[in-house]
Amino acid sequence: MSKLFFDHLLQLKDVDKHIKKIAKTAEEREELWGLIDEIVHHKVMGCILDNLPRQHHEEFLEMFHTSPHDEELLFTYLRRKVGENIEGLIKQEIGGLAAELLGEIKS
Amino acid sequence: MSHDLPTTTYKINIERVDTEFLRNKLKLKSLEVKKNFTQRYPHVEKFFTDRGIDLGKIRDHSAKVIATGALTGTLLFAPPMGVKNLPQLTQAIKDVSDGQTNSPNIPFQELLLKNLHAILPQKIGPLDRSTEKSLEQVFQQIIGINARAGLEGEHLNTTYGYIGAEQHLMRYPGDTMATHPKLPEKDEGMAPGRGAWGYVPKENETWYAVVQTLYLPDWNTRQPYLRDWYKYRKVLIVNTINGNAVIANIADAGPAAFTGKQFGGSPEVMNYLGGPRYKKGPVIIFFVDDPDNKVPLGPVEYNEVNMPGVALTQV
Repeated sequence: MSKLFFDHLLQLKDVDKHIKKIAKTAEEREELWGLIDEIVHHKVMGCILDNLPRQHHEEFLEMFHTSPHDEELLFTYLRRKVGENIEGLIKQEIGGLAAELLGEIKS
Repeated sequence: MSHDLPTTTYKINIERVDTEFLRNKLKLKSLEVKKNFTQRYPHVEKFFTDRGIDLGKIRDHSAKVIATGALTGTLLFAPPMGVKNLPQLTQAIKDVSDGQTNSPNIPFQELLLKNLHAILPQKIGPLDRSTEKSLEQVFQQIIGINARAGLEGEHLNTTYGYIGAEQHLMRYPGDTMATHPKLPEKDEGMAPGRGAWGYVPKENETWYAVVQTLYLPDWNTRQPYLRDWYKYRKVLIVNTINGNAVIANIADAGPAAFTGKQFGGSPEVMNYLGGPRYKKGPVIIFFVDDPDNKVPLGPVEYNEVNMPGVALTQV
């Protein structure tokens, strides 16, 4: 089982379409997916930490470390500390990243 | 005087170059993002490093956390909101039996949907074991397929998730859409690359499914067993919106986690589940327990009667 609490916000299907066009084998495709995953995780975490006041960082990181999959627990916490729009902010970050990645892939 | 170009220098595999070029670009991008992150949040980097975790590979950590929770018997996931309690599930199963024995006029499709609504949580995601058990009974009694969430000790990351439209897979080198069977409307075309198990035999290609084997926690440590076990493994796919069901075999790995989908279906699978415009939707996927290989691939026409308001082949 592998699930992250923000998985439901990830919508990079156009990026995936391009990867599928370029990768010829499943191994190549999965390697490229892994690289995108690494970028996504850092971007999403950066977005959260940018908006979460510094004094709550450690508490959030402990919760994330213990239950990285727990959507309900982590988003309830973030809504309380950041605000109701946290999911919107992450979506916005993902949207920007998608455009950035598509630019990289196509250039 | 002209000479042939030296082959070792000039015979470059363009496709290979494309992949390597993209890999290098993504690697650079990844390094840049990581560097920025570390500069902005050194305390967070230290937090993860102290615990031996790479944020880029946090999915591996998540897999370990969840597997540990499951092994120690703790709650893997909180009981889903929609699953009220066990007595109600029992009642749902009873309804199935009643439908078969006492109310033969209720369309099986309606009965299936009624039970799915009673059993499934509101949020689409991994199901707890008791919910999966209830669904196994429902599928057995209404659809008539012996399907299991876990089979021979294997279990998918999730059995309830979003399925997305995939393209046709190459059956042999040089296979193209010029000769490949296609849907009359809105066909997805052919995937440029091969499936996770290479070229897919004709008999396996039409009704194929894609599951996220690459994210299984033990995928890398239990090879080649898992690779063989999943290859062309039959699954029952049930569209939870309209009750359409199809038997498919696993012929590729994916989709990527960042697509927001957990499964994929061949153009034929998707067309049967929801019609030509159906590109994404919630489904349940269980393994078919079919040791004698008697269950055919393709639609499961357990109910020929459409229920009012929900067409059998259109969401």
